[in-house]
Amino acid sequence: MFRNTFGNWFGSVRGLVVVCLFATLAPFLVAQTAETGTLMGKVVDASGAAVANAKVTAVSADTGQAQTATTGADGVYRFTLPPGNYRVKFEAAGFVSVEIPSTTVPASGAAVLDRRLEVGAQSNEQTTAKSPEKPAEPSMNDLGFPSDQTAGNAAEQARLDKRSHMLKIHQRLGLITAGALVATLVLSNGAAGKNSTASGRELHAAVGGLTAGLYMTTASFAIFAPKVPGTKTRGSIRLHKALAYIHGPGMILTPILGALAYDERNRGEKVHGIASAHGAVGTVTGIAYGAAMLSVVFKF
Amino acid sequence: MNQRILAAFWLLAPAMLFGADSQWVLGQSTLSYHVSHPLHESVGVSHQARGKGVCHAGQCDFLIAAPVKSFDSGDSNRDLHMLQVTRGAQFPMVTVRVVLPEMELTSATIHCDPEIQFAGQTARYKQVPFQREVHGSEIRITGTIPATLSDFKIDPPSLLAVPVKNDIPVRVDMTWRPQ
Repeated sequence: MFRNTFGNWFGSVRGLVVVCLFATLAPFLVAQTAETGTLMGKVVDASGAAVANAKVTAVSADTGQAQTATTGADGVYRFTLPPGNYRVKFEAAGFVSVEIPSTTVPASGAAVLDRRLEVGAQSNEQTTAKSPEKPAEPSMNDLGFPSDQTAGNAAEQARLDKRSHMLKIHQRLGLITAGALVATLVLSNGAAGKNSTASGRELHAAVGGLTAGLYMTTASFAIFAPKVPGTKTRGSIRLHKALAYIHGPGMILTPILGALAYDERNRGEKVHGIASAHGAVGTVTGIAYGAAMLSVVFKF
Repeated sequence: MNQRILAAFWLLAPAMLFGADSQWVLGQSTLSYHVSHPLHESVGVSHQARGKGVCHAGQCDFLIAAPVKSFDSGDSNRDLHMLQVTRGAQFPMVTVRVVLPEMELTSATIHCDPEIQFAGQTARYKQVPFQREVHGSEIRITGTIPATLSDFKIDPPSLLAVPVKNDIPVRVDMTWRPQ
């Protein structure tokens, strides 16, 4: 009996195994790309006229590496830089130098930093930084943040990007799975009880198998999403994760019990023993799954 | 005659006072952003902002900064998503720079043009009103910056395939004290 039962079961879920294999591998297919950004802008004088030959220096807050550019006749300068925070200094003959303590270059696209220079007797940095008359404008250094807090971390950003990308897929597949789950529960009316038919059971089994496959795929995108070290789980996501301990085992048990029940009914027997728990386990699984979805929708 | 002298003194006193250099340091602060989604609202709060203000020759220059990851909405998953969409690991600080006439600091309502660097972008807001309250030597500033996600080229995050609203007003409550 067991050989027969499990033989049928394995036959009916062969497609499901393929789906689960895909589910396991799919998250690893998510890829990331390296990026560079642009820092550009226009240097003008008090009247708004372009300042040519102004020297613009960008110093990386992460590495301390400096790069210089010179404005053209139109006052425009341009850097191609690794993304991160930069200190930018503007110098031009006959103008007061200006230093911008922090500007950020995006991973892709351009950061625009225009500057208006005031006419000054001297064009050296002492004019702005060390003049006894004018105190320096406040900079990030004045605020005393530790450098590890202010320095950008491209690798960490890539980890967050990958995590969000995978969880976005998790969310969308979760919605599709919910639809399939509801369809399975509705179709159970034709698979059990007095009104059950062979075709009703087959349809219920097929949609149920699809639901299980979708579920495994959905779950794998959450399970294999990169973890962020040092993050303590807080808020409604805790309930969302806790409910997975109910609907996860339920999604494994329900198809197994369903296959047993399917086999018993096909032999003309009344569903008995452990197989009779199929409906109850499926219902609890469905409720736990629905509650997990609601837990992220509504704020508790 | 005495009345004229007294009136002249009161008229000139603020100018004399503000002619001198002064520096301000940010004490307590609460910065909060508000995100709206058709299904629910959420607020992320940070108390970790630091700031400094320098006033010279009637002009004040204020710089306020806070770590992006210090904003707490009460949900770690939401905060990590916020950190991701705002590129908070790559650009870990949000900074606000305000330059305004020193006389403006005496108004009950201060209008200024904050320049915000966030998520690798810079946005300037015009004539944002802030309320000012004086408590002894300290000044409490409250107001709301009408920020939007598109100002910083941030793709609106979505929940169940429904994106959040573009508006993310940032509520500011800061207490400054002279240094």
